[in-house]
Parts: sequence; C-alpha cells; structure tokens
Amino acid sequence: MSGVLPTLDDLPGPVTEPRKIRRPFAGSALFIAMIVIGVVMLYPFYFMIDTSLRSESSFLNGGGHSLDSWRALDSTLPWGQQLINSTIVCLLSIGIILVCSSMAGFAFAKLRYPGASGVFVAIIAAILIPVQSIVIPAYVDIAHWHLLTSYTGAVLMYSAIGTPFATFLMTVYYRSLPDEVLEAGVIDGLSYPMIFLRIALPMSVPALATIFVLQFIQIWDDLLIGLLFLQNTSERTITVGLGALAAGRTTDIPVLMAGSLVSALPAIVVFLIFQRFLVNGLTAGIGR
Amino acid sequence: MTTQATPNPRTDLPPAPTRPRRTRLHRGRSWVGLAMTAPAFVLVAVILGWPMLQAFYYSMTQWDGITATWVGPSAYTHEFHDPAFRRVLQNNALLLLAIPLALVIPLGIAFLLDTHVFGWRIFRSAYFLPTAISWVVIGMVAERFFAAHGQLNSMLSAVGLGFLSTDFLSGERTALLAVALTFAWSMIGTNMIIFLTGMATLDPHLAEAARVDGAGGWQTFRRVTVPQLKRFIQFALMMTLISAFTALFSLIFVMTSGGPGYGTTTLEFFVYQTAFAVGQFGTGAMLGVILFVIMATVGIVQIVLLRTKE
Repeated sequence: MSGVLPTLDDLPGPVTEPRKIRRPFAGSALFIAMIVIGVVMLYPFYFMIDTSLRSESSFLNGGGHSLDSWRALDSTLPWGQQLINSTIVCLLSIGIILVCSSMAGFAFAKLRYPGASGVFVAIIAAILIPVQSIVIPAYVDIAHWHLLTSYTGAVLMYSAIGTPFATFLMTVYYRSLPDEVLEAGVIDGLSYPMIFLRIALPMSVPALATIFVLQFIQIWDDLLIGLLFLQNTSERTITVGLGALAAGRTTDIPVLMAGSLVSALPAIVVFLIFQRFLVNGLTAGIGR
Repeated sequence: MTTQATPNPRTDLPPAPTRPRRTRLHRGRSWVGLAMTAPAFVLVAVILGWPMLQAFYYSMTQWDGITATWVGPSAYTHEFHDPAFRRVLQNNALLLLAIPLALVIPLGIAFLLDTHVFGWRIFRSAYFLPTAISWVVIGMVAERFFAAHGQLNSMLSAVGLGFLSTDFLSGERTALLAVALTFAWSMIGTNMIIFLTGMATLDPHLAEAARVDGAGGWQTFRRVTVPQLKRFIQFALMMTLISAFTALFSLIFVMTSGGPGYGTTTLEFFVYQTAFAVGQFGTGAMLGVILFVIMATVGIVQIVLLRTKE
C-alpha cells in the first residue's frame, strides 16, 4: 500500500469490513442459529460417544453409562490389526499416487513431448470413470493375477483411482512455476530428473499435502474396494471390518459405535491437521 | 483480486524473450518427459482403462467371472425391459430430488458464516467435520436415527407430530427418503466450503453498494451474492450429482442393503448386487457401462457449459 494515490482499500470505514450484523438482537439470533446447525452437524459424534458408553441393555431399555461396550470391543472387532491394515493400505497407495502424479504433472507442465497432450487427456479422462463401472472386470483381472489375498490388489486399485485427479492437480501446480527456475537448474548442470527432485518437488509440498489429505480420507473411509480386494480377513481395513459387522445386523450396537469412534478418529485427526489443504483440494476443480 | 496496488516483481519485469535457449533445453527433454509420465499412464491404463474396455465387451455376454458366452447388444434391450432395472433407475431419479436441499442449505449456512458471526471459524470447522467420517459410520448412525424406536420418531412425538412416526427403513419409499436425507445432510460440509471459498472471492463493494441503495439482507443475497457465485454453485451441483450416482454404495450397504425389496437399490448398488451377490458378472458389467454412460454425459455437459460461459 505504498502507492502514491490512496486506493479504495486505504479508506477507513465500513467499505472493506465484512458484512456485520449491527443490531444486537439479530446478532444473538444468528449465534443461536449457528449453535442449532452445529448440533445437527455434530449429532453423529454425540450419538456415537453416548451410545458407546452404554451396555446393550442400557441402550435398549434406558439406564446409566458404563465402559462395558468398550471392554467388549476387543472380542468383536480386531481393531488394532485393522488400524494397522488401514494405515498400511493408505500409506502405500498414497505413496504411489504422489510419485506417479508429481512426476507426470512435472513432465506435462515443463517437459512436454510430442503427443504429451494426448496422454494428459487420456489420464485426466479417467476421472469420469465411476469405480463401479470397472470394478467387476478389474476384480476378475486382479483375481487372475492372484493379488486378492494380499494388500497389493487393493493398493493398485486405490492408486489408479486416485492418480488421475492428483495428476491434474500437480500439472496445474507445476504450470504455475516460472520456467526460469527450470532454466537456472539447466545452467547449473542439473539433469531434468534432478531439477524435478531438487527444485520442483520441494516447491510443491502444499500440492502434495492437498493430495495426501484428499486421498487419506477417501481411502481410509472406503468400503467397496476393500470389501472386494482384501479377501483375507486379517488384512481388512477398519472401515471394511466395521462395514462387514454392520451388515451382519446381529451385533451389539453400542460396541459398533465404539468401533466407529475408533475408525473415525485417525481420519478426524488428519482432517483437523490438514483442513486448509483439504479446502484447496475440494475447490481445485473450479479453476480460476 | 487486490494485487494491483502492490507491484509484483515477476509480472512487472519486462517480458522475457520467448524460448531463449530452446535447443539446449530441448535436448533429451522429450525422452525424460515421456519416461516421467509413463508410470501414471500405465497404472491408469491397466487398472482403469483396460477394465473399462473389458466391461464394454463383457456387458454383451453371459459371464460368471470364468467363462463368457456372447449374447450381443440384445443384452441391453433385454435389461431395459426388466422391472427391477427400471425400479433402480427410478430410485436414482428420486434421489436427485435431494440435490436442491443439498445445495440450498449449505448456501444459506455459508452466507450466515460469511457475516463473521462470533466464533464463525469454529462453526465452520464443526460443520465441515462430518466430511472426515466414512459413509459406513454415517450409515450406522443414520440407521438408528430412522429406526422404529429411533431418535427421529421420538422427536416427532415430542413435538406432537407422532402421527408421522413410522419405521422409516421398513417402507420402500420412506427408506429411500431416509437415504436421501442422510445423503443431503452429508453433502452440507463440502458444499458449504465450496460456497465459502466462492464468497471469499466476491467483491465486497457490490454487496455494500446494494445495501447503501437500500437492499435488505435477503435481497442482497439473492440479487448480488448468488449471481456472482454462479460458477461455484455449478461446481457444487456437479459434485453433488456425481456423489448421488456414485458415492452412496457404502451408505446403502450399511443402512438398508438396498431394501426393502428394491426400495433403496441405486444403479451403483445394483452393479455390486448383480455381480457379487447374484453372480451375474456380465449383467453387472452392463449396468456399470450404463452408469459410465450417464456419468460421462454429465461430465461432458459440464465441460460444454463451462466452455460456452467463457
């Protein structure tokens, strides 16, 4: 704001203030409305916590709170192993997505070759393919390769499903890097892969974080792929474990709610830490 | 944007000569570029592209996952005459009725948050938080909420609307209503964030000018804010539409298993059921192809709309 002439932004007064409710009554009415909406949006968390702190009979017939359901959780849901499985599957898949999409994004933005735009369109077009449209042939193929009884099949599926949009994000991001950065690297005698690794990749950490959180929540919370492609119960993710229990319908609801809380917690933590990047990712498709 | 006042060192420099040392940069560039895009391309081609082509082929066969017998395009005409399939399409169409709800509510919430009411940042995070939890968990909670002795029914009787209470998940239409409401609720966080992002890019002077001219809050919202948000509303609509068709598998799996009858079976759930519960892989593949055609049409319409607006 060191310009010679004052701009509109320099003027004092309400011009650039956010809309403020000036009447105190309206202000408190608004605040109460916000609380009510908050209750509606956070209700599932309240329900899960409250229910998990009851025994089945106290849930059905009314009664006090206890830790019975939390004690029973262990014998119903192997949650420790399943949390580990979820973590392994998530990290492996996201790792592959980040490697593939950052390399491809850099090449599409800075190392274009004849036919590159065709390859780009081919990858991006896969965003339009619903998982359900390919899941049956993919399932048969992956069964044929004997990969249903390890993490590999599911990891391949998650990686392929996440890569198109991630490639799009990375290409947009690297396009915004000035070419001079690249040329400076060439003059310093770096090869292209080195320019990518030493210069471009470290500059793209925010975009990588966006992809990380989008994919983490997506994969952690997924049921369909896990249900089909993780055939060994010992390799099931926590969401699949819960989904299988819930569909069984005979299970004790308070215990299910305790399990739900356990499954939701890691995703919530990642969400809270990376919230800003998630917002970027959700609105990245709009274009500026 | 407000960057005009501050000089930008990058753009204020004289423009660089175009492609100064093209040959030097060019050497080896194509090969490295090709090699760096290869992993992404191969992964997507093998795991998504090839199965999509297979789906087209198998959609015209009778297939149990091992042996396939060619049927031909008549498989499609046959399917379109199946009452179950028509019912499923009808369910999908009815679910779309939840979309206005899934857009208008978050739009209103975003507008209220944009007044920067006391504690708005905390409210924003709280409303967005359900985005982190899985459909499986949401479905389990929703199942109890809509159950015969669930919270919805107790709330209805508490406010004297007890005559409305019913076992929502045991009637075909009421179960679909329950799924639709749960779906609309779960879209609130994402769409609210999209609208808030949009509102942050708006020119505050326009709304202020409207207010100076005597427009009330509602009028400002309708005539100034909403028209400026057109692009964001369109984007949220697309995301919600795509979710309605392709993101509800887990919710339905947990909440209703597609029932009662075919009451809450949508196309994506029908794909799973047909292939993995009934064992008709060919028909399942065909349903997947139909889903793909619908989604690709939606996607292409969106791209065309965006292009023509420019």
